[in-house]
Amino acid sequence: MAAQAALDRHRVSAIIVSHDGQSWLPQTVAALASQTRAVDYVVAVDTGSKDSSLQLLKSARIRVINAARDCGFGEAISIGVDSLDSAQADTIEWIWLIHDDCAPAPTALEFLLAAIDDRPQVAMVGPKLLGWHNRTHLLEVGVSIAGNGARWTGLEPLEYDQGQHDGVHDVLSVSTAGALIRRDIFEEIGGFDKNLALFRDDVDFGWRARVAGHSVIAASSAVVFHAQASATERRSVDVGGAILQRPLLLDRRNAAYVLLANSSWWLIPWLAIQLLSSAMLRAIGYLLAKLPGYASDELLAIATLLIKPGLIIKARRNRKAHRFVSARIVSSYIPPRWSQLRLSTSGFVEALRSRLLPESAPGQRSILDSVEDEDLLVPAQSVRWFAIFRRPEVTGFLFLAVITLIASRMRLGSLIGGALPASPSGARDLWQMYFQSWHQVGMGSSYASPPWIAVVAVFASILFGKAPLLLTLFFLTAPLLMMWSILTLLRKLTQNPWISVPASFIYAISPVAIAAVNSGRLATVVTLIIAPQVPLLLTNWKRIELQSWRKIFTLTLLVGFLYAFTLIAFVTLLGLVAFALFADYKEVFNDRPLFLERLYKRAVILFVPFILNAPYSFQALTTPSRFLSEPGVSLPGGGSHLVILGNPGGVGALPWWLISPMLLILVVALFSSSSAKTIALYGSGFLSAAVFFSSLAIATHGDSARVNVWTGTFLVGATIAATAAGVVILDRLRAILVTSNFHFRHILAALLLFLTALYTVLTLGWSVTAGATSPVQSSSSTVMPAFLSVEKDTKTLVLREMGSVGAKSIQYYISRGKDIILGEPDVAPRQTQQIAVAAQELIDGSGISSSKTFADFGIKYVFVKLPFDRNIIRTIDGLGGFSRASATSTGVVWRVAGVTGRLILVGEDGVRELLETGEVGARTTVAYPGRVLLTENYDRSWQILQNGYRLQRVVSEQGLPLFIATESGEISLIHDGTIRRAWISFEIIAWVVLLIFAAPAGRRKREIFEKELA
Amino acid sequence: MKRSLSALLALGLSFTLAILLTTTVDSSVYSQSYPAVVCPPTMSGLSSQISVSSRKTQFQRLENRSTKTIPFNALRLPVSKDSLVISAKGVTPVVWQSRSGSWAGGAICSGPASSQWFVGGSSDITSRGRLIVINSGLSEAIVDVQTYSENGKQPLLSLNLKPKSYSLVNLDALATGDKSLTVHVLPRSGRINAFMIDELGSGLRALGGDLVNPITAASKTLVIPAIPNQLPKKGKKSTAPKTLRILAPSDVDATFTLELLSADGSFVPVGFNSRSISAGVVSEFTLSPKISATVFAARIKSNEPVVAAILSQAKIKERTDFLWSTPTPALVPMAIAITGLVPTIVFTSDAIAVKVEVTFINGKKTLATIKGSDIATWRVPKATRSISIMQTSAETHAGALIASDNGYGYIPITPGSLLTRVEIPHSNIRVLNP
Repeated sequence: MAAQAALDRHRVSAIIVSHDGQSWLPQTVAALASQTRAVDYVVAVDTGSKDSSLQLLKSARIRVINAARDCGFGEAISIGVDSLDSAQADTIEWIWLIHDDCAPAPTALEFLLAAIDDRPQVAMVGPKLLGWHNRTHLLEVGVSIAGNGARWTGLEPLEYDQGQHDGVHDVLSVSTAGALIRRDIFEEIGGFDKNLALFRDDVDFGWRARVAGHSVIAASSAVVFHAQASATERRSVDVGGAILQRPLLLDRRNAAYVLLANSSWWLIPWLAIQLLSSAMLRAIGYLLAKLPGYASDELLAIATLLIKPGLIIKARRNRKAHRFVSARIVSSYIPPRWSQLRLSTSGFVEALRSRLLPESAPGQRSILDSVEDEDLLVPAQSVRWFAIFRRPEVTGFLFLAVITLIASRMRLGSLIGGALPASPSGARDLWQMYFQSWHQVGMGSSYASPPWIAVVAVFASILFGKAPLLLTLFFLTAPLLMMWSILTLLRKLTQNPWISVPASFIYAISPVAIAAVNSGRLATVVTLIIAPQVPLLLTNWKRIELQSWRKIFTLTLLVGFLYAFTLIAFVTLLGLVAFALFADYKEVFNDRPLFLERLYKRAVILFVPFILNAPYSFQALTTPSRFLSEPGVSLPGGGSHLVILGNPGGVGALPWWLISPMLLILVVALFSSSSAKTIALYGSGFLSAAVFFSSLAIATHGDSARVNVWTGTFLVGATIAATAAGVVILDRLRAILVTSNFHFRHILAALLLFLTALYTVLTLGWSVTAGATSPVQSSSSTVMPAFLSVEKDTKTLVLREMGSVGAKSIQYYISRGKDIILGEPDVAPRQTQQIAVAAQELIDGSGISSSKTFADFGIKYVFVKLPFDRNIIRTIDGLGGFSRASATSTGVVWRVAGVTGRLILVGEDGVRELLETGEVGARTTVAYPGRVLLTENYDRSWQILQNGYRLQRVVSEQGLPLFIATESGEISLIHDGTIRRAWISFEIIAWVVLLIFAAPAGRRKREIFEKELA
Repeated sequence: MKRSLSALLALGLSFTLAILLTTTVDSSVYSQSYPAVVCPPTMSGLSSQISVSSRKTQFQRLENRSTKTIPFNALRLPVSKDSLVISAKGVTPVVWQSRSGSWAGGAICSGPASSQWFVGGSSDITSRGRLIVINSGLSEAIVDVQTYSENGKQPLLSLNLKPKSYSLVNLDALATGDKSLTVHVLPRSGRINAFMIDELGSGLRALGGDLVNPITAASKTLVIPAIPNQLPKKGKKSTAPKTLRILAPSDVDATFTLELLSADGSFVPVGFNSRSISAGVVSEFTLSPKISATVFAARIKSNEPVVAAILSQAKIKERTDFLWSTPTPALVPMAIAITGLVPTIVFTSDAIAVKVEVTFINGKKTLATIKGSDIATWRVPKATRSISIMQTSAETHAGALIASDNGYGYIPITPGSLLTRVEIPHSNIRVLNP
């Protein structure tokens, strides 16, 4: 009774604001009429509705005030308030704001009033907002604003209401939908800001009420259902100031306005930066989602505000007049940054989890299948934790992990060896190599860095720049990643995990996988991981027109990623596209549009990745050996006799007697009647290509000798096909064998399984014993002695006997004082002929002029790495022009006679003077006119500037850049990297554009089905 | 089925094509050449002649700063002082040195060596011998000289040689007072050759001398193919005994067996079957074989690597000269220039079958075939410019004995410079990858 008496002190006037709300208005009016605590007075303000809203209101006998169509919400409320009778002295006058798209629950008003009854300081109270369509979903229980302008409710998206937020909460503000505001305070602080015609006016009002010394609460016992029609673009936004009638633009603009108008002045610069940066990030996100309109809204919202600073200044002045307490009191209601981050992270993790680990259906049982009595009779089953090991996926991955760990026991550190050079200490070096236009390798080169360096640099950056750690982890986890990748493919071919998991395991220990890991073949390992995803994306290669363009672009991205590591992927795809086009020509050439559609889609998959990897890929056109090369040091592959058995050969490969069942499976599958036959056709194609290319020899990556092409990448295709074909055959065969009498199929299946099992056992044995000592190992040894690294930018000719015992050969290269690092072999220049002749003469003892040649090319030292033929060492001793600098257990060093270095000034009298130089560019002084010789390979981008002018550049007799300095003075040596920078810009733009094309398209809010809305 | 067969056919075709296309990818390319050989300088009081096979043979004097070469313009060049560096192109030049009326000796001019053993010489009061160490390279050289004597291993002597120079070491300084020397020359750096002149004298009386030919390495089997056996004139006393000087340079004592091979047959002299010698100590044994032939050969088999040589005394015009017969490696096809010399070449093997081409001074050529067992001697025709071993039986060893007015000499028939097959290096960035 006391409560009832208290209620009597309040007078509630409901103000409905309608604007094209005929869809929701009937429920709204009905809800108002059915309140357990009746509304004392109802007035509606219609802002020029074009639908039947006006009629609906009038037919409900509600007083309607007409307002202009561009009238904002706050202005409409003011009109409504103005129309009310003057407040009575013995009552507390409340205005209840009702949107035309919200419907209060019958008890809403009663509970709102109950919440404020013993809280006289409350100026505004809001209900718990639930969804209009799904009335169990929480929309808001109070609202705030984040530092970046985001509307902050503290709730998860589409959070289910289980009463978890129930109670009366002190909040910054509440939504105007169903909010109850004390009329006197509303009028005292000037109502809603006229500059906020729609959106965020609620937050602004709450903020102002707070700093005016009042309180704002949310009472969850009062419930209002809200359709959020304007925010979800269910109706047009016609309010004044809404540029282009775009709700998002208005929302963002108003959010920024609220923050800048209400925050403490010293926070404004930080807020401005935060608003701008978050707007840009969101714009990028919208662009990726192919919603350029929203992206422009984000940026325009900030721009429209920033061009009118007077608006903010005026708003701040107004607020200052009504502020009674410090603006800091609202800080407790502003969500801290970490809570935003936590919510975003948990959302992302949840999305990822649901994607990767969907709720498993097998464990669930229909209620119809249950027996009611069962619950009583059967004791509750407890799930034993070790039951997880009965799942083949778990045991398979665990077993592989253990085997990999044992086999990789020599690789638990910074890796080096095989095709893998030493990793640079940090990602910075990789980035530098990728961006720079000139590489200090050998005699220097301007080759474009391959894009895989950028990929490795990105991942290394994620690991805080620890490039060696990245490679160690990568090679350690590579077999597991391979197994996971192929398993995702095999699951599409069979439901039986006892077939798909062992097959995936065998894929991870296939000859090509083992050889690739053991010899440090980065590209083949990446291909082994990525390639199984290609058939998953491209489900219909033959009828490619059925694939959406978005999928085509996604596949293009994936293929581009593979091209970045090796252009063998291009050669492979070229063959596939050529065959497919030939088939298309025979099949659908008469259907011109269909033929063209297939042609376009195939061409996009083939050529767009090629363009994405420009200029590296374009340079391959002039150096065709790059089409068949892999990252890292050039190492020979095995012969065709090994390759036909699926073993790429070379260092680190399985011995010849470990024969995988790949070829047998492919042959058997070729004569099967299932889809395995089609798969085997592709597999045999890959195998044929691998066999053919294994007979070719190329000279590339800083090796002037021709070596057999490594065909690992081709064999990846054949191995995937053989694995998939084997799975299809076994899946089908099992059922046949069980039901049929003993015949040749049983023998064949038994033979196949026996050979596979034999291969598996022997391979595992080899991997953990002999295979563990493969070339790629963790090591900290170096080739170059430390004392040769002390002298900066000094070239040293390094001679070393390479190869196994009995097949040793003498090889040389020019070092810049240190060993090579990852990426450098890929940009290594071709052999310089004069140096090759001089090195040959150095070895055979006829090189009287070798020292002069070396000096001409800036080679200061000759270093022979021991062990080395002592006779040759004596031969070098016997040659003139070399004086021994040291002889240690590491090797013997000779100093080349004469003045030599990187930058040499040659006077008119022929006197040579060494000039100071830096890593690539240099700033130094020439003491007298002469010719400045740069002992780097000639490149048009080399320039020397003196007094702002470029010095004339000519080619020296040795083919080196020579500059004519006509006067003494300071000079600047630069390698102009403009072209490189332009290419990098092009690459970034091309990748981003393709990423946008490949990304799933976002939907405009108006395109979201109502069922999906709360 | 048709497509499956096509796929199989394609696979088979590509495999066949691959096998046909596969070229042997051999990254090694070789450059073949004969290193220039070095002849010893002529010491004071000696005369020296170098035999070459062609007048166009290029040479340079060691101490010339220039590396320019000039032709011989003669087939036998007297050399007054300098050591010569000769571009002999595979025909080994022979140097013949003599002290007028005292002694004579021969040696082959050879390319730089990584190790040379000289079994000969003495450090006693009679010694006038010298070790000549030549650096024919253009850089400074460091050479270790390790001497062994009957008193064991001597202190190491290290020599620093300037480019294109030689150093003379008196033998009496290597192990002063010791009688039996064996010297090991081990270059540490540089292009090194060494020669040893073993010359003995007592007061003003010359006791003979010889150029001691080097042995490359100690071995468990040594064959000394040519040992002169000057038969006594009728009614005279028997010839002077031979002396076997032998050293086991390793740290373990050796046991050796000496077998003599002659036209009389092969036998082990009494006391030379499984004879022990101490490690690091030069041992000498006297040999007095009763052999009717004028030459014989010796074969030493040991359980440890040894170096050895046999010293023979010979009388010429009532004077005494001596010569050191040293082991030779197995005979290989080669050519040696002997202009002005008329040697007797002794071949030793179980079954000798050697085909020799003789080139005369006038350019004419003739072939000779030498066959036999155990030992065969063949006297080279007069006016021979060079001889070429065209074919040879396995494990055949050969040495040449030369007699002149001044004395006797011994030359091992072995190439002075082997065809050097040097791999042409190729650039590969892999050398910078540990």
